[in-house]
Amino acid sequence: MTSNARRKRKDERLVQSEDEEEGISNPSMEGDLPEMTGTDSSPEMEAAEADALVKTLKTKRRKKKKELADEVISPKDDLARQLKEAKRKSQQKIEDAEREEMEESAPMSVVADDGTLPMPEEEERESVLEEAEGEEVRRLRKKKEETEETLIEGPPGEEEETPPPREEEEPPAKPPSPVPKEPSDEMPSKSLSIKEKMRMRMEKAKEEALSEVKEEEKESRKERRLQRDKKQTTRFDETKPYIGSPHASFEIDENELDRITEEKRLQRLERRKKMPAKGREGFQMPTAEEAFDFFTREWKDEEKEEVEEGVEKAETEKAEKKEGEEAAEQEGAPKPDKPEDEQPLITQDDEMVSDLPTMMCAAYTPDINEQIKKEGEIYFVPSAAEIPATQKVGADFEVRRLEDEGFYVGKRPSAGSRNQNRMEHRLLKEIEKGRESSRAWFGEDGSLLALPDPLRSLPSRPPMPEEVEPVLKLDYKKAVIREFDSRYIDGTTEGIGHYQLDVDLNQVFFTHHHLYSKEHALAQKLTSLYEQYVIRERKNMTAYLGEKLKALKNSALHLQDHIAAHKSEYNLTDRSNYDRRLQDYRAEIIQTRQQRDREEKTDRTLLRHILATWKAIKKERELQTFTNTPVKLQIRKEDGNKVEDERVWKQEVLAEIEELRDEHEREYRRNMLTYEEEMKRYQNQIQAKAEAQKRVDKRRKKIGSKQSIRSGAEDDEQHEKDLELLSEADLTPPDEPSHFDDATVRESVEKKARENRRRPGEPKLHLELSNTATITPTQNCNLDEQRRRADVSKCMIFVKILFNNKEVSRTNMKPLSQDFKVSYGQIYSMKIVQWPESIAFQVHESIGLGSTLVAELCAPIPDTSVTSVSVQLEDLEFSSDRKEKLNRAAVGSGMPFTYGSDNSQLEILMTTGILTYSVAWAVDEHGQALVPPALVNANTMFTHMKKMDPLAAIGAAGVMDLKKLADWFASSHLDPNDPSNADIVYLLRGKGGDTSHLTPAEYFRLEQLMVEFDFVTQQELEENKRFRLIQLRDEEVQEFKNYKMVPAHEREVPRDVFTEYERKKREEQRLKSEGDHDIETQRMAVKRYRQKIRDQVMRRFRRQAHMKNWEDMVKEDMVPNIALLGTSLMKVFARRTPLKPQRKKQKKVVAQSIKGDEVRIIVNISRAQNVPVRLSAAMQAGSGAVTSRQDTRPLEQTMVRPFVEVMFQHHCIRTSVGDGSNPSFNEELEVPFRAPFDDYSPGNLQTVPDAVFLNIFDEVVVDIQEDDRERGRMVHQRIEKKWLGSLKIPFTTIYFNGKIDGTFRVNAPPVLLGYVYEGLSHGPDDIGINKDLKTLLGLFISIQPPLTQPEPVKERFSTNEDEATMVQADQWKEQISSRFTPKRELKTFVTDVNFKSVFITRYFRPINPPDEFTGKGPELVARYVSLIPFVPDAAIFPGLCDIWNTCDQFLAMLSGDEEEHAILLVNYFLHMGIKAWLICGNAIPEGPTAYVLTEEANVHYIWNPSSGERFRTNDATCPLRSIGCIVNNENIWANIQPYDKPDQMMYSLTETSCWEPLFNNSRRNPGLQSIQPERLYYLQTDKDFVTELQEKIQHVLKNKVMDWRSRYITRWNRHCSQIMRKTLPLLEESLGKSVDQDHIKELEASFSSYKVSGFPINMPFTEVDPIVETVYATGVHGHESNEIEFALAVYVHPYPNSVLSVWVYVASLMKNR
Amino acid sequence: MAEVHIIGQIYGATGFPEHSLFCKWGIHTGGAWKILAGEREGQSQVDNPVNHEAAFFAHPIDIHFATKGLQGWPKLHFQVWHQDSFGRNELYGYGFCHVPTSPGQHTIECPTWRPSGTYREQVTQSFLGGGPQLKNPDLIYSSALRCKLTTVAMGTVHLKLGVILRNFDKFGIEC
Repeated sequence: MTSNARRKRKDERLVQSEDEEEGISNPSMEGDLPEMTGTDSSPEMEAAEADALVKTLKTKRRKKKKELADEVISPKDDLARQLKEAKRKSQQKIEDAEREEMEESAPMSVVADDGTLPMPEEEERESVLEEAEGEEVRRLRKKKEETEETLIEGPPGEEEETPPPREEEEPPAKPPSPVPKEPSDEMPSKSLSIKEKMRMRMEKAKEEALSEVKEEEKESRKERRLQRDKKQTTRFDETKPYIGSPHASFEIDENELDRITEEKRLQRLERRKKMPAKGREGFQMPTAEEAFDFFTREWKDEEKEEVEEGVEKAETEKAEKKEGEEAAEQEGAPKPDKPEDEQPLITQDDEMVSDLPTMMCAAYTPDINEQIKKEGEIYFVPSAAEIPATQKVGADFEVRRLEDEGFYVGKRPSAGSRNQNRMEHRLLKEIEKGRESSRAWFGEDGSLLALPDPLRSLPSRPPMPEEVEPVLKLDYKKAVIREFDSRYIDGTTEGIGHYQLDVDLNQVFFTHHHLYSKEHALAQKLTSLYEQYVIRERKNMTAYLGEKLKALKNSALHLQDHIAAHKSEYNLTDRSNYDRRLQDYRAEIIQTRQQRDREEKTDRTLLRHILATWKAIKKERELQTFTNTPVKLQIRKEDGNKVEDERVWKQEVLAEIEELRDEHEREYRRNMLTYEEEMKRYQNQIQAKAEAQKRVDKRRKKIGSKQSIRSGAEDDEQHEKDLELLSEADLTPPDEPSHFDDATVRESVEKKARENRRRPGEPKLHLELSNTATITPTQNCNLDEQRRRADVSKCMIFVKILFNNKEVSRTNMKPLSQDFKVSYGQIYSMKIVQWPESIAFQVHESIGLGSTLVAELCAPIPDTSVTSVSVQLEDLEFSSDRKEKLNRAAVGSGMPFTYGSDNSQLEILMTTGILTYSVAWAVDEHGQALVPPALVNANTMFTHMKKMDPLAAIGAAGVMDLKKLADWFASSHLDPNDPSNADIVYLLRGKGGDTSHLTPAEYFRLEQLMVEFDFVTQQELEENKRFRLIQLRDEEVQEFKNYKMVPAHEREVPRDVFTEYERKKREEQRLKSEGDHDIETQRMAVKRYRQKIRDQVMRRFRRQAHMKNWEDMVKEDMVPNIALLGTSLMKVFARRTPLKPQRKKQKKVVAQSIKGDEVRIIVNISRAQNVPVRLSAAMQAGSGAVTSRQDTRPLEQTMVRPFVEVMFQHHCIRTSVGDGSNPSFNEELEVPFRAPFDDYSPGNLQTVPDAVFLNIFDEVVVDIQEDDRERGRMVHQRIEKKWLGSLKIPFTTIYFNGKIDGTFRVNAPPVLLGYVYEGLSHGPDDIGINKDLKTLLGLFISIQPPLTQPEPVKERFSTNEDEATMVQADQWKEQISSRFTPKRELKTFVTDVNFKSVFITRYFRPINPPDEFTGKGPELVARYVSLIPFVPDAAIFPGLCDIWNTCDQFLAMLSGDEEEHAILLVNYFLHMGIKAWLICGNAIPEGPTAYVLTEEANVHYIWNPSSGERFRTNDATCPLRSIGCIVNNENIWANIQPYDKPDQMMYSLTETSCWEPLFNNSRRNPGLQSIQPERLYYLQTDKDFVTELQEKIQHVLKNKVMDWRSRYITRWNRHCSQIMRKTLPLLEESLGKSVDQDHIKELEASFSSYKVSGFPINMPFTEVDPIVETVYATGVHGHESNEIEFALAVYVHPYPNSVLSVWVYVASLMKNR
Repeated sequence: MAEVHIIGQIYGATGFPEHSLFCKWGIHTGGAWKILAGEREGQSQVDNPVNHEAAFFAHPIDIHFATKGLQGWPKLHFQVWHQDSFGRNELYGYGFCHVPTSPGQHTIECPTWRPSGTYREQVTQSFLGGGPQLKNPDLIYSSALRCKLTTVAMGTVHLKLGVILRNFDKFGIEC
């Protein structure tokens, strides 16, 4: 019925428009209205009715239309409807008739007046009764209307035509309908039928009116047609011929046809709509006006309700009728008749179409019951009643019951019998209708066919979604905030892997505790001694050495015999060979004996100690009258045979004496030989002297007797000789070697034996320690002890476990047992997501409330192979320096106490203990260790890919080499059962396919990876130089890091490009592998250590440096704040001082924009002060020994003509010559700068090792005029330059500071031959001028263009420090640094070699200086420190930040920065009892640096640790320019004074207005422990090495000087050298400071005929090359003359730990003419 | 001994449901390949464009390979991540593409996808963020089993790569 729906939709619209049109298009109707009202005979309210009538008419017309449509449509629609219509009509007729009768007979009206709501039947009935009378009036009126209407409607002829068909209809409809109606309609109520009748009548009237209206409409159709679109025609168009043909005859016009069909359609629609309304009319008997009003107004709602009601009624009626009616219907034969009935209807319909007006729509169901009944006729409701089987099977067949016949039928599925019956009814109905095929549904037994059981007999699995492959598994990840650092193993807190560490804490045992009683302490001592004893006993070194000695003696003896026996048979070499062997034996015998003696001695002392301790314990127990410890020493005595012992003893002593005698004899013989020789010489001399004396005497006599002079000449000669002889020093008579003194030797041997050995007859002692002594019960002890014991049991111990410095768990509090043990025996498992950095245990002790930290101890992070299965418990010793008062019977900790009663021996014991623990990686249920994957590339994202793909992890090369693969497989703990590893397992499967032992098969495969497709072999690829170069450059290997252009072809790669690198590699390898027997063994060790540290640090640094943070990526310039704006504004208004030009800050140039060759270092030398003057000038009159040019040209005489030479990267530029000792240069010099590899990036620049040398020279003009006669006409002079001092400024210093500005002290030698400081020569010393005046140089150095400075590496690294302290320190620092605009150097945390931030105070602790400095002054210590080579951190750790080493690291590396020097010095000073602090400040030229401040007798000194110099705080020449803070082991004090120059400051630290300490009363020092070692151990420097080195340096220097002046002959003046060599140690003694005038005098005295200029240079020894360089820099060699002579002396002074002070004394001598 | 030098950039990403994206990338090669210089994996910044439909990374890629064979030509693989307003990161897509085998400049569009997960996961994802990820990210470029994954199409990663080849002709390979 889609078309129906469509229609419905359409008509809604159409109806509307039609209504309107009707309203408009029927003016005639309106015109008729008054007429109608006029004719209306009703007595009341005529005017009102006129209105109502208009409405009525409209509705009427609509109804009419619908009716028409109905009739038109009926033939097409189903027959049932037709039938119904017919029935209805006939009924109407009947009713009409009845009504008419009723009207006459009973004047009663029934219709309910309440038009608004349709009432239920009961109500209606009541109301009908009530309103009966009123109704009659109305009825009458209606009748009138009817008549009137008919009158009006009369004229159209069509109307007449309708009645006949109606009449015709009646007869056929009548017969069936009254019959069924009679029983039902009779009883329900008369009123209902009456009502119906009345309604019918009314309707009829209405219909008449409608038909009239319709007629009128027809007239207006034409107009309508114009407005209507033809397209609106639907498929009903096709019915045109059929429906339209009658019309065509009627209307003729072709166009009209369309219109008619249209019309019809519309009517049909109208009818549809009104149909339910019609049904409703049945109950209503309102006045026509009211009814119409109602209908027009409330349309939709009514309809709905009506329908509902209808349904209800239908249901009730159905139930009523069910039995009788239904059966009747089915059984009766009206059905077959019906088609026959329909036949005429259709034909009639045709007629109806032609004469529509006669088609009365009254044929509609007048009653709901009627309707239901009708519906009942139409619908088939299958009953649930059972049907006899015969009926179902059919008449022709017999009912068979297979079951009864014995067949197996199976169980039918259960179904409701009612449902089944209904189904059967339906089927039967179909059969009845003629579809015999439906009978097939029934089985032979008459029941519906059905399979026995619809369920499958076999169970089958429903289809399941396919299982997901393990590889395809998804993992739901929460959105996480990812930590972009490598702390997490898997990158996030929610790692993928499961890693677990198991920490097993077994027990804590205190080897000393403050609650130890004295007896405990002793017992502990005894136990430890006993342990030693047991170990020694087991080793039994004495016996072993004794045996060895015996064996050696025997073999020596044997050898001796052998030699004696075969003396003649051997030749010389053999004999010497034997002799040497004998010698060896002897040496060994001596050594072994010494060893044995030593061992014996220790054994003996140990025994003695044990016994003494045991005695002390016993005494203690006696004294305190109770026993506290279970220790018990049992001494078993083993009585020896005294006689036997005596014999052995004697024998041994004898043997030893014999040996000694032997040895002595040999010695004696040797000595005797020399003695005799010397004796001989001595005697000869005596004799000669005597003779000479004689001769002299004789001669004197002769002279006296006046002998001839003839023999005079001869005599003279003789005489001279004699005199000489006589003047010779007398040789001392040599000491005769002593004979073997039996007695004394015996005595000493016996004494030794007595001391070390068991005496004869003395019983042998066997000790045994047991814990069997009974401890006195507490109640028997004295009160103190009772309390102590109570304290012990009150003392609770627990251990915190810290992972990466975070507490992860802690043990329970367990009370200390009386033997000071706490057992936990618990395993703490930690699942970790971070990389393990540290695992630490904190032993806490708590007595009462709160707890104190006893000790913190670190456990090593277990190796990956250490799992909880394999791990064993380990002991970790700890100690605490906490002082604990002794109370009652306890001894306390860190407190002196005495044992027993004697107060002689004070003893201090610190709390110590042993923690038994183990740390291991956990193992999961599969035995897999839960170890995180190796550290490499830990922070990359695709690492776990490699983990998944084993082949990718090892690369293709690994596959080629099965051996390697197998190794890797074994090492990587791959699961052989994992299917993803199947191919590897297959590859590696050994013989017999045994997977447990994965070894490669012992055959090879061709084309493992289709090798033939390879272009080249792997090896070729590896060896390609070009590739290697590129790779090394990419890896930022130092040598290749800045390699700009890699050639495009391999052949262009320089051949030697890797030689240097490979050499270095080899060197490193060598350093790593072996402790070479080089002469510089210790140096090597130092180098090795340095290399190790360097490697380590570089590795860490690279990791750090490649971790970028926000600032690295985004460069945001600071927005200038308002304060800055203010200052810049102020500048505008500032007073201009043209004479004081300001230096403008230049813009930094980035590395990329620098081409090279334009970068230069600008050195502005303003002036020099206090330049030494020539001695000749200064001491003119003083000494005549000095050269004397003054008499020749007194007027030309200048004191000194200094100039400055700047040397950098082999470029040399000099200033003009200044004049006098305080010259002013004001010159700007430019030196070009070239960075290595032309790479000007900060990373490269900070590793530039070059330094700017500033040398001050004196220009000396030497007149070399050969011929005095030409003096008037010719000038022949030579200009010489004499070195006066130098200043070395490393490039990095300039680079880091940007510029260097200030007055610097020039490093001048302590002695400058030929020169003297003016200040010294003039006036007395007491004027207040500092005695050691030094040359000063005013400088300004900068780089042009300024280069970008390296970004400081992120200062804050991971740390072990306490969080709170860090925060505190940060706040403190922030608060102070904000107060001062030029930021002051404040240091709280520094970076150690492990790249950890460490609190700075931890670096301080009194440390012992080398032993030989004890008792010496601080200057010596400072000198020692300054002699440790200074190497800036940037050079050791290129590209790194400042790294602070501890003192032991510093001494081990033997090189360090200012701060290392300063720390060491402070620590030494602290040890020496001097108050010392470290100064963080700025100095020139170093920039930010560290100095040392000391206080001695309220005078403060500032020390420069790297030069060893000391300054008073008020010394203006002190290079320290500002002090930011001072630090010592307790605190940090920030300088909050307005000034920070050292000479303007106050140094009383208690002054809170001057110094702000970090830790004060509110901020307590958390007890930071020092990270420095407790003491340092110094190695003595090898003296031989020193002399060797000295020779070496001298040799090298001599050669170098000769090289440098290869054009001239270089002569060496030995004598001068000797004198100089003698003076050098003196200089060292005087710490290179005060000038010892004596030696100068000596020199001057010796070389008065020479002009000597020279100086000693002192430097710490690092290598030979720097020494050479320094000498070269002085330019001593630069005398271009053959006449000159040189003198050179080298002295190396050894200090402990291979700290060497090198002195080089060079001088040039020129003969005075 | 042939060389491949890839210089280019991860230009940007379009078509993702949200902006504020960043991209992780890596390069995967066969065993015959050897990296001479350059980073083989990395991560771009988070780009949160205000006015654009695309996120721009302009993340440089510069890798120099040497190879002794053609097998395992390098592939680039990506993970596009989204950073939400809480700063949390969630996966938005996986994708991979081969490095072009012809020299010259190439503009590459690499479509991405992400695993869809179960219904429950999808609901969780829409409310709480996060999302299913591959347990084995090497699935991104190993094709064997990828067909069994249920995925959702995501946006496209745009690449501009310049490829320089060297010495391939020596070994009879025309490019």
